[in-house]
Amino acid sequence: MAPGGTADDGWQRLHPLSPLLRGGVVLLAVLGYVVSQLVDSVFQSFDPEQYIPGAGGEEPDGGWSITSHPLLALGALVFVIAVVGGVSWVSWRFSRFRVDGGQVELRSGVLFRQHRQVPLERVQAVETTRPILARLLGLSQVVVQSAGGSDSHLTLAFLAADRAEELRAHLLDLAGRSDERGAPQHAPGSMQSGAPGAIGTEPGSGVLPAGPVGAGHEEARPLVRVPNGRLFVATILHGSTIVLGILLVAAALTVGIAEAGLKVLAAAPAMVPVVFGLAASRVKELLVHGNFAIGRTATALRVRHGLTDLRNATVPLHRVQAVEVLQPLWWRPWGWWRVRVNVAGVHTGGDGDDTETVLLPVGTSAEAMTVLSALGAHPEDPVLLEALHGDGGEPGWTGPPESARWLDPWSWRRTGYALAAHSLYVRRGRWTRRAVVVPHARVQSLALHQGPLQSRLGLVSATVVSTPGPVDASVPHLDAVGAERFLDVVGERAREARRAVTPSGRDAAARAGEPLAPDPAPLVD
Amino acid sequence: MTDPAPPSQPPVPPARPVTGTDPAVTLRGGDLGWRPVAPALATVRLIVLGAVLVVPLLATVVVALLVTSWVWLGTVALVVGGLWGLWVIRRQVSAISWVELDEEIVIRKGRLFRSLSSVPYGRLQYVDIQSGPLARAFGIASCEIHTASPESGGSLPGLPTAEAEALRARLAARGEAQRAGL
Repeated sequence: MAPGGTADDGWQRLHPLSPLLRGGVVLLAVLGYVVSQLVDSVFQSFDPEQYIPGAGGEEPDGGWSITSHPLLALGALVFVIAVVGGVSWVSWRFSRFRVDGGQVELRSGVLFRQHRQVPLERVQAVETTRPILARLLGLSQVVVQSAGGSDSHLTLAFLAADRAEELRAHLLDLAGRSDERGAPQHAPGSMQSGAPGAIGTEPGSGVLPAGPVGAGHEEARPLVRVPNGRLFVATILHGSTIVLGILLVAAALTVGIAEAGLKVLAAAPAMVPVVFGLAASRVKELLVHGNFAIGRTATALRVRHGLTDLRNATVPLHRVQAVEVLQPLWWRPWGWWRVRVNVAGVHTGGDGDDTETVLLPVGTSAEAMTVLSALGAHPEDPVLLEALHGDGGEPGWTGPPESARWLDPWSWRRTGYALAAHSLYVRRGRWTRRAVVVPHARVQSLALHQGPLQSRLGLVSATVVSTPGPVDASVPHLDAVGAERFLDVVGERAREARRAVTPSGRDAAARAGEPLAPDPAPLVD
Repeated sequence: MTDPAPPSQPPVPPARPVTGTDPAVTLRGGDLGWRPVAPALATVRLIVLGAVLVVPLLATVVVALLVTSWVWLGTVALVVGGLWGLWVIRRQVSAISWVELDEEIVIRKGRLFRSLSSVPYGRLQYVDIQSGPLARAFGIASCEIHTASPESGGSLPGLPTAEAEALRARLAARGEAQRAGL
C-alpha cells in the first residue's frame, strides 16, 4: 500500500507550464524586466555611438558591469532562463495527482513535500477558475473544495482547459455517485444539481441549488421582522458606547474642577480616533443589520438585511452546526436577544462575515424562540430555558467547582453544560448571557485545554469544536475529573449520533449531520 | 474492495488493546497505551533553534571583542535563551503523546499549557503528511489531521516516516469505514 514512489498507478501530471504560471505575474514581470534590460544592453553595446564618452551618459569606460559586454549579457540571459526553466521543470516533475480509491490526491513539493488527499464524499464543490494569465495560455485550475475554509481546498493548477472541465465533470460524477450509494432515490437530483456547480451552495451566493426536489423553495414564510428603531436603540446600547458615555460624563463633571479639567481637555484630541472607530463600528452594525427580516422555507432560512444595500442570504437548515443565543447586560431590561449560528462552508472573518451567521440581530424573547424553533428547538424546553436564564445549581447542569471563582469570579456559578436527547447545551456569562446549542450529530471534535493557572487550581477547559463561525461552544474551568467526564459523556453521545446516522445513510438528520454532504439531500426533512 | 470480511478487521488492526471497559481518556498520565513521538523531533527542533541563534551569537561575540565589552551581556542573554529553548523543546517533545481509540484519535500536547484533542475518524476531511528537508534527514514527518474545523488542530509532529504513512492509511481506512456506515 501507499507506495510513495513513482509507480505509475494512476498518477498524472499537471500541465508543464503550470509552475511558471503559479509563479505568476511576479515571476513574469521580473523575467520580463531582466530580459528587456539584457536585450537592451546587448543592442546598445553593438551601437557604436554609445561608446562615445560623455554622449552615453555616465557610463565610464573603466566601470565594468555585466551589461557592458554583449556576450556576458547574453550568457546571463541564457543562465536566468535556464535556472527558471530548470526549477520549473523539477517542480513540475514532483507535482502529481490522481483520482483513485474514492479520493483525490495531490503530491507536490521538492524540498517541502506535501501529500494531500480529499475523500470524494467530503467534496463540497468542484470549481474551475481561470486567472487571466492562464486564460491567455488556454489553461484552467481545478479547485476541489471541502469544508473548513480555503485552507482545506485542493488546487490542481494548471491543466489544459478542456481537460480541467473533463476532470471537474468526472469528480462531480464520482462525488455524486458516492453520495448515491447512500441515497439511491436522490441520485438524479444530485446529479442534475451537481452539474452546474451547485454541489453545496456557494457561500454568499444566497441561492439554493435548484434541484427538482426543491419545488417548495420559492416562497418563504416570514418569521420575524426587526424594526429599525429597535435595532438603533440596541446598537447604541453597547458596552463600548456605554463606557464612552460614562467617560464623557465624568469628563464633563471634572471640567468644573480647574486643574483636572484642563488635563481632561488636553487628553480630548487623543480620544477622537477612538470615538471615530467606535462610531464606525456602530454605524456598520446598523447598516448591516438594518431592514432585517427572516423567513423560512421547508429546508432553509431566508435572511434579508442591509440598510443601504439589501442582501439576501439563504441558510440551509442542514448546514447549521451550532446556535448561540446571547444577551448583553444592557439588553436585559428590554428582554432582547441575538441569535447567531455557525454554518458549514460559510466563510467567516471576511468583510461580510455577519451576513449569514446572524439569524436575529436583536429580538424579543418570543422572536428569539420563533427563530430557535425554526432551527428545531422546542420553545418550552426546560433545558433551553435554564440555559438562557439559569443562574447555576439546576439539576442536570454540570459546571466548574468553586475553585474556579479565582479565575472567573462573576460567572463560574452559571457556567456549565447539560445533555439533552439530541443536543449539548452550554451556558456562560453572567453579564452577557450566552447559551449555546450543538446537536450531538454535529460535534466535530472535542478538546481540553489547561493553562498554568488552571493547573494550579486543578481546572481544565473543555471545548466542543464546531465548524468555523461566531459560536464558541466551550465550557471553561471544569475540574479535572469533570473535564474527563465531559470528554467521555459528550464523546459517547456524539459517537451514538454518528452511528445512528451512518448505517442507513438515509436519515435526513444524518445527512444534515454531515455538513459536507455533497447534495442538500435532507430536502426530505 | 470486495472484501468478504468486515472491512474494519483485516486492514485496520484494533488500535487499542481492548480490555472490556474503556479506561478513561485523561489529560495527564493514564493507561490507554499513549504513544510518544520520535525523539528525533527534539533533535530537529534543536538544530533549527541552533541555526536561528548562531548568527546573532557570533555577531554579539564579534562586536563584544571589537567594540565594547558591554555586548557580552547580549551574548549571555542569547546563551541563556538558547538553554531555556533547549529545556522547553525537550519537555515539549516528550509531552506529545497520542493514541488511536476505536472511534477517535486522541493527541495530547504541552506541559505548561496542556491540550488534548479528540478527533473522530468519521469526521476526517483529509490527512496531510509533511516533512521538510531537515525532518527528512532524520526520517520523521508530521501528520496533520483536518476536520471541517481548522480549530480541531490534530497535528502530530515527529512520526517516523513509515509510521506516518501507515497512520495516514489507517486513518483513511477508518474514516472511510465509519463514514460509510459499518
